[in-house]
Amino acid sequence: MIQVFQIVILGLALGGVYALMSSGMTLIFGVMRIVNLAHSAFIVMAAYLAFWLFKAINLDPTLSMAITMPVMFLIGMAYYRILFASRADNPRFVDITVLITFATGLIIEGGLAFIFTGIYRTTTPEYAKTSYTFGPFFIPQSQLYALIISIVLIVGLWLFLRYTRIGNAIRATMQNRNAAQVVGVNVRWISTLSFGIGLAMAGAAGSLLSFVFTFYPAKHVAWIGMILCLVVLGGMGSLVGALVSSFLLATAASFVSFYLGATWAPITFYLALFLILLFRPQGLFGKKVEG
Amino acid sequence: MGTLIIDNVVAGYGSGPNILKGLSLTVESCQAYCIIGPNGAGKSTLIKVIAGLLKPREGKITFKGEVISGLRADQVLQRGLSYVPSDRSLFPDMTVKENLRMGGYILRDGRLVNRRIDELFTMFPILKEKSSQMARTLSGGQQQLASIARALVLKPEMIMLDEPSLGLSPKVAQQIFSTITDLRKNGMTILLVEQNARKGLQNADVGVVLDLGTNSFERPASEVLSDPRIQELYLGKRREPLATEDQE
Repeated sequence: MIQVFQIVILGLALGGVYALMSSGMTLIFGVMRIVNLAHSAFIVMAAYLAFWLFKAINLDPTLSMAITMPVMFLIGMAYYRILFASRADNPRFVDITVLITFATGLIIEGGLAFIFTGIYRTTTPEYAKTSYTFGPFFIPQSQLYALIISIVLIVGLWLFLRYTRIGNAIRATMQNRNAAQVVGVNVRWISTLSFGIGLAMAGAAGSLLSFVFTFYPAKHVAWIGMILCLVVLGGMGSLVGALVSSFLLATAASFVSFYLGATWAPITFYLALFLILLFRPQGLFGKKVEG
Repeated sequence: MGTLIIDNVVAGYGSGPNILKGLSLTVESCQAYCIIGPNGAGKSTLIKVIAGLLKPREGKITFKGEVISGLRADQVLQRGLSYVPSDRSLFPDMTVKENLRMGGYILRDGRLVNRRIDELFTMFPILKEKSSQMARTLSGGQQQLASIARALVLKPEMIMLDEPSLGLSPKVAQQIFSTITDLRKNGMTILLVEQNARKGLQNADVGVVLDLGTNSFERPASEVLSDPRIQELYLGKRREPLATEDQE
């Protein structure tokens, strides 16, 4: 029994970072219908930025979020404005976004490999080496910090969407783009801003996972598969869905990796994806698309 | 003078053909206009162009002497022209109150918006009753009322309604029309597009018949109602040759 609880603890600890990784992706899809296949590449890019700040000026990765988040926010806004804004009315917009973001992911991967080489990297602040123990249980300090910060950020994003004027405009745009225009929401500006916010979340995720995982430029390929599973399971566009599915699947993967071995863990995600597409294609918290 | 002048407007979607082909119309303030016409005549397109959701390819629209064609939707709203779209497009996963609050989005003043919403709740008690329900749980008629109320949060001088009775039972449609009549009595300029031509004209001062993207006919509504050609084409009297054609 103790063992089972320990597995759950380790699963939940990772769930927070997964949720943070998928929150930006689901926001970007919800508002703009962009399937951002470069999302994990942006996360890896932010992780390298955190790594570089840690090496160069010994900046703690939890503090470097104050840099990675605004930097990624600006990159996100510029990226949307330059490549997507003028195409938003194109009937094949979703197809276009898949191609553009896929290419972007490859370009980022190549750029990072050029600058940082393909060596496995991780940041090593003091807390990345120790664990908290309580009774028979333990939790790595790094994962606990990442979990807490992730939850704070996601709750913050949720409150922002729920209770601010701009946040309401973002939700309105997600629910009915046309009606949002009718009440005077500048949908183009809201889209640009949302892409910025989505990538700011990616920036935060990059800083945090820099001390939770090891990474290398091509790591984004594995992560985008996982993020897509989480986002689809939660319901594309649903922040709560991304959060719930992240904790669910992280815990499930933690069991699988304990009993079957770590190489089987990714199967958990794809199996969940397969099952949800079969039985509830709109996802746990998603809305059926009509027409 | 709150007059809306549409001058020789040409418009269409994307790279598609022209839907409006040089349409001109003057909407006098404090009057109710009902636009009728067959499908594809450009009724909804006209309203979208006025509301700033579609840029005209040619021509010019002025409201109160100021050119508004080419402005963004929020800028048109700011000038006192509100729009109620035909699909009652509310925000389905927001409460009725949140929907109304979105109606005041461009006001940037939460307190003012809340005050206006309270006023609207006295005008539409059913919306007050449902204020914390999700919009998607409302009936069709309630959604239409909420959609109209959302447009009224801005206290517009002119309101444009696209097929407000679409898909509603006659009884519910009647409630919507009496709401429109109330607005008209309060001196609001109304531009109504209506599939139910008879009902629409009964609730209007001026009837406008659109055909193939141009304004083919404009008379006092009562005259349009009694015009034999219009009766035959749009009001379903004399059912012989045209009615059978319609059914095909």
